[in-house]
Amino acid sequence: MLKVGVIGCGTMGQLHSAIFKKLPGVELAAVADLDDQRRQEAADALGVKTYREGQELIADPSIDLVDIAVPTDGHAGLLDQAIKADKHVFCEKPVVRTNAECDLLEKLAIQTGKRIGVGHVVRFAPEYVAARDKVLAGDIGRAAVSRTFRGGSQFPKGWQDWYADYARSGGVILDLAIHDIDYLRWCFGDVARVYAKTTQGLTEERMEHAFIVLRFKNGVIAHVEAGWTNYPGQFYTTLEISGSRGQLTFDTRTTAPILYAKADADKQEVNVALPESPALISPYEAELADMVAAVRENRDPKVTLAEALATTRVALAALESAETGKVVNL
Amino acid sequence: MVRIGLLGIAHLHFYSYASAVQRLPNAELVGLYDDDAARAEEAAKLFSTTFYKCPEELLKNADAVIICSENSFHRKWVELAAKHGKDILCEKPIATTVADAEAMIKACDAAGVRLQIAFPVRFSTPMRRVKAMLEQGALGELLAVRGTNRGRMPGGWFIDRELAGGGAVMDHTVHVVDVVRWFTGREVVSVYAEVDSMIHDIDIDDCGMLCMELEGGVPFTQDPSWSRPSSYHTWGDVTLQLVGTKGTISVDALAQSLTVYSNAEGKMVTHPFTEDMDLELIKDFVEMVETKRSPSITGFDGLQAMAVALAAYESAKQGKPVTLR
Repeated sequence: MLKVGVIGCGTMGQLHSAIFKKLPGVELAAVADLDDQRRQEAADALGVKTYREGQELIADPSIDLVDIAVPTDGHAGLLDQAIKADKHVFCEKPVVRTNAECDLLEKLAIQTGKRIGVGHVVRFAPEYVAARDKVLAGDIGRAAVSRTFRGGSQFPKGWQDWYADYARSGGVILDLAIHDIDYLRWCFGDVARVYAKTTQGLTEERMEHAFIVLRFKNGVIAHVEAGWTNYPGQFYTTLEISGSRGQLTFDTRTTAPILYAKADADKQEVNVALPESPALISPYEAELADMVAAVRENRDPKVTLAEALATTRVALAALESAETGKVVNL
Repeated sequence: MVRIGLLGIAHLHFYSYASAVQRLPNAELVGLYDDDAARAEEAAKLFSTTFYKCPEELLKNADAVIICSENSFHRKWVELAAKHGKDILCEKPIATTVADAEAMIKACDAAGVRLQIAFPVRFSTPMRRVKAMLEQGALGELLAVRGTNRGRMPGGWFIDRELAGGGAVMDHTVHVVDVVRWFTGREVVSVYAEVDSMIHDIDIDDCGMLCMELEGGVPFTQDPSWSRPSSYHTWGDVTLQLVGTKGTISVDALAQSLTVYSNAEGKMVTHPFTEDMDLELIKDFVEMVETKRSPSITGFDGLQAMAVALAAYESAKQGKPVTLR
């Protein structure tokens, strides 16, 4: 029985806890959260041991795998502690907030014999997996131009409103666009250079829209777009890849198989929009099942720390470009 | 009755412009000229109009001309028409260099003729609706603009650098830039672009991505790639998304279309039921000639849009954003 502890009882922490609770061969042993009420609610809902500090959960010798689902700026410290405590770790994306933290994690990763996975869940989303399979099979010839979109929903609400604090979240580029940056890296390999623009600073409203142009070392040109609004909207994602012999595309607004219009729709309050496409195993469940299997089989998880760090460095380069107005070569 | 002549028919848009002229009650297609006599003769037959062997003869018999020659010949024909005191509708892009465009504008000003640039997308009914929404403040404060104008690789002189002045970026940047200038009243102040030839086996750019800044710091991207495969359901697209503090508007100039599954086509195709923007463009031009009012789309508009495409090439060459003057 693999014993798991989840640090953070926000949107992602709750989701992860619920999945670990039902995964076979896994025991959700403890959760941690600084917020007294949320910690109590988690204890009631899950019937597990709770800690206030993530550090206390990490120090619990019974726990094998630590899941880190706290605001981004808290990742590096907890990863540091968990790796030093010789735990397996699953960390929500983005794995860290800064380049200095990337450097630190690279050093730590060498020292651990344990498995470290990162929640780049799009690599488990069926529409994205299918698209990549088609591209790799050569169905569209040589890939040349790709476009991605992610957003449409309202600016997320998190604990202490951490998403709105650029220093903590990195805004829409580091929190949202990073999904597509990671996916495109998975498809096309390393990025050569990055140019980006964001609306951050253009308005006091709770919204941000960003465009990132990526040039991959294999030649592919990509347009990555992500946005949070300050008005109600539907969360959706799109992908298009054009090549020398064809093109493929999807838009989750049209691939959604179920549409449900309901009377009290405008009363809904969403903290953080999560995409949903009905599947026997959701991408969130698949990524955690893969992590558990990686530990059990003593292999790398599908999204390794090294991969996540490489993706994060590209997203941080986009932030730097948006800030300086310059091209960032990687 | 406004007598219209076609000067140069290399650009296939001449078909719909000629047909529009013939459908208007207050205009008449008096004839056409092209350096390629065979092509001109064929077209004259198709439209039951006169093929002039000499452009000056055509100009003598026309009140105004529509220029659809290869891009790099626009200057030659505009200057000739201006010399003959004729109003001009010139296909986009206005020219292939800033010097040519400026010379054309100057020649028309000096001769006192009106020069209009053919940006039919301004006459798309959905685009006009969006313009009205923007004027009513539907967006609040503008924050970001995303455009696409993708198409199939056109081949022919479009992939000849001498004649076209550039590939996909030259061909497909100007429409969107023009509409965004018209929508927002803002000029493009900087351009960063990735430009390459990767989709088709040709010696000119067939794909690219422009990341620009509009006056006021508003990010604006445009995808001009010839990235629609031959199996695509239509020729391409013209779309815009405008994000503001009070709303987001997405507009697809070609969305008004039927989806047709035809065994004869061997693929799914879309059949537009949009109103004919080319007809509206020609109507507007004929009215301009008739009433002697100022053109609704000026040579300066043409120059500004072309300058962005040229800056994109410059940016790709330098590997950094280029500031527009």
